[in-house]
Amino acid sequence: MINKSEVAGDLNIDSYTTLGVKATCLACRGGRLLCGKFQCPILLRLYSFLKVKDVFHSKRVFGSSPPGAFVGRMGYPHVYAGPLVPPVVGDTSLFNMPEKWLGKSVDEIVDFRTNLIRGKFIVNVKKPSKNQRFARTLLEMALSKASVDTELTFRKNPRGGFLLDNTLQPMGPSGMLTGMTAGASKTDFVVEKAYADGDLKAEDAVLDLYLNGLPVSRIQRVFSLGAFGLKERRRMVPTRWSITAIDSILSRRLIEDKVKGKRMINEHRVYEFNYLGNRFVILLIPSSWRYEWIEAWYPGTTWNPQGRRVSMGGDWEGYNGRTTYASIGGCYYSVRLAAAEFLSQENRQAGVIAMREIHPSFTMPLGVWINRESIRAAFKQKMRKFDTLREAISYIKSRFTIAMDAWIEASSLLKDALYQERIIKYF
Amino acid sequence: MFRIRVTDAMLLRDMITAISTLLDEATFDISTGGIKLRAMDPSRVAMVDFEWPKKIFDEYVCSETMKLCLNISELLKLLKRARREESVELSLEEKTNRLQITIKGKYLRTFNMPTLEPIEEEVPIPKVTFNAKAEITTEGLRQAIEDVSLVSDHVRIEIDDEKITMRATGDLMGATIELKKGDVAFLGVETKEVSIANFSLSYLVEIIKAAAATSEIATMEISTDMPIRLDFKQQQEGKLSFYLAPRIDVE
Repeated sequence: MINKSEVAGDLNIDSYTTLGVKATCLACRGGRLLCGKFQCPILLRLYSFLKVKDVFHSKRVFGSSPPGAFVGRMGYPHVYAGPLVPPVVGDTSLFNMPEKWLGKSVDEIVDFRTNLIRGKFIVNVKKPSKNQRFARTLLEMALSKASVDTELTFRKNPRGGFLLDNTLQPMGPSGMLTGMTAGASKTDFVVEKAYADGDLKAEDAVLDLYLNGLPVSRIQRVFSLGAFGLKERRRMVPTRWSITAIDSILSRRLIEDKVKGKRMINEHRVYEFNYLGNRFVILLIPSSWRYEWIEAWYPGTTWNPQGRRVSMGGDWEGYNGRTTYASIGGCYYSVRLAAAEFLSQENRQAGVIAMREIHPSFTMPLGVWINRESIRAAFKQKMRKFDTLREAISYIKSRFTIAMDAWIEASSLLKDALYQERIIKYF
Repeated sequence: MFRIRVTDAMLLRDMITAISTLLDEATFDISTGGIKLRAMDPSRVAMVDFEWPKKIFDEYVCSETMKLCLNISELLKLLKRARREESVELSLEEKTNRLQITIKGKYLRTFNMPTLEPIEEEVPIPKVTFNAKAEITTEGLRQAIEDVSLVSDHVRIEIDDEKITMRATGDLMGATIELKKGDVAFLGVETKEVSIANFSLSYLVEIIKAAAATSEIATMEISTDMPIRLDFKQQQEGKLSFYLAPRIDVE
């Protein structure tokens, strides 16, 4: 018998599931297995619909790696890591560069991702050098700016069709490595310099590379292999975590250094972009920096499978930023990066309310890049200007299929902008 | 020439903490009579009005009127190193334009930090006629606000002839707190008419928590759908007041 009520409470699974299936799925997204099942039933169902490509019938693959590398998170700090190599020779960089995927169909994306065969070896994230045989070659390959000819040999034929994740890009079949040789790799001076500098903090290295124009996906790849930071503190970072780490670091630094303190925009602006059943609408309001990200999943979409009603979730931060991880996950930081990037280029300050309506035609999670790249694309479209918040809101209402009242109810910043008076009004 | 000293470091530290709830950077007006600060938070929703006359300090040397702009959060980091019964001295080094912070206790510590470009913005006092005024202990106020913040992010404050009522309604829970005549925390009320207004708790909680450390007695003034004024009574004619604009809900 358990007579301590706290202990009994911990065992009481009901207290986790009272959220209702819808909310649990939105909070977990296949990543944390909050439902208590061994595998995410939603992802499992999706896998069954994917036509599994010809299973790879060879213990050997030779091709040009985009370059690509993957670091797993299970078992941290002892994780699976390894290269991604397609059985194709030539410039394969597109396979691993989400910045260039916008506009492609789900089929195309799935197609070039399933082409990438993933080799695996086990490594201690803090001591990659102990795994001389593979970790060193993997790092050299990942630093490269162009595709690297690579040969992998496996213990058994690579297996598994496809790996879906809310943060990660889809992943193809994988197998344990027995051998790996990589051809010549070329890297840029800036990357080489950051790698060689053992006194440069990872955060500063990342920002330097970004300001030098390196694509975010490349910075993330090199970062995940532990190539940056103070010499003795370097470590490998699971790919899933490193994507969000880079989005978070870059956006925070851009906000602090290049957005705060700048002149506020004068009008209310609305930007919009549609892609694969997702409708993105961004409202910029003339105020000091603040940011909010809200997603609305229609019934029948991935993370709202059985619901009858639209499931909404979001998080926000004020001028001083936040100290806790955003409840909605990595997408919050990807969108924050796209927004901070835009404002810093405009040299302006604004309040950003970014919204995403997800329709049932969006069938599977593709990774957070879809948010980052779609918001970037939205900012390149023609904006609509409005003098008042009410006008902007009534326009947004016409763009969404979900009632505006529901958006306002879900949004802390919209409520603040609509209902909170400013003290200057009383001077 | 500018130099001030207080023998109890906590006095200065608590005051700077209260100011830091609204401001990252603050431009102080320094004159021969004392130090003043009046500024709005970055989103221009709330305002702090602060004044410390010369006599609060154990030593006060100021040869001319000047503006001194400081990074409040950095200053606070240094002041947090000081313990009770330790004395703190702030002085401006004119050649380098840096502020020197000297903490004297069991041993001597000297820090210095840069001063910033002052913000030349004159902030007026909001023009509001308050129709209801209540006096309460800061401890009582702090507890009441923390109570309502459990259920919602905004609160409805009502003052009538006999009591202060705070009401909050959240998604799931609701709360009603009453402070009335006869309660230990309740010190008095003056009303021209019953007044009701809504306020964001994210501001109120921060302000009240920090300001409660500097004062025993608070005065709350409101008018229907107008800003609130919270005055925290200071020793020796010092002044610490906050203004917060209301929330006007449509429902």
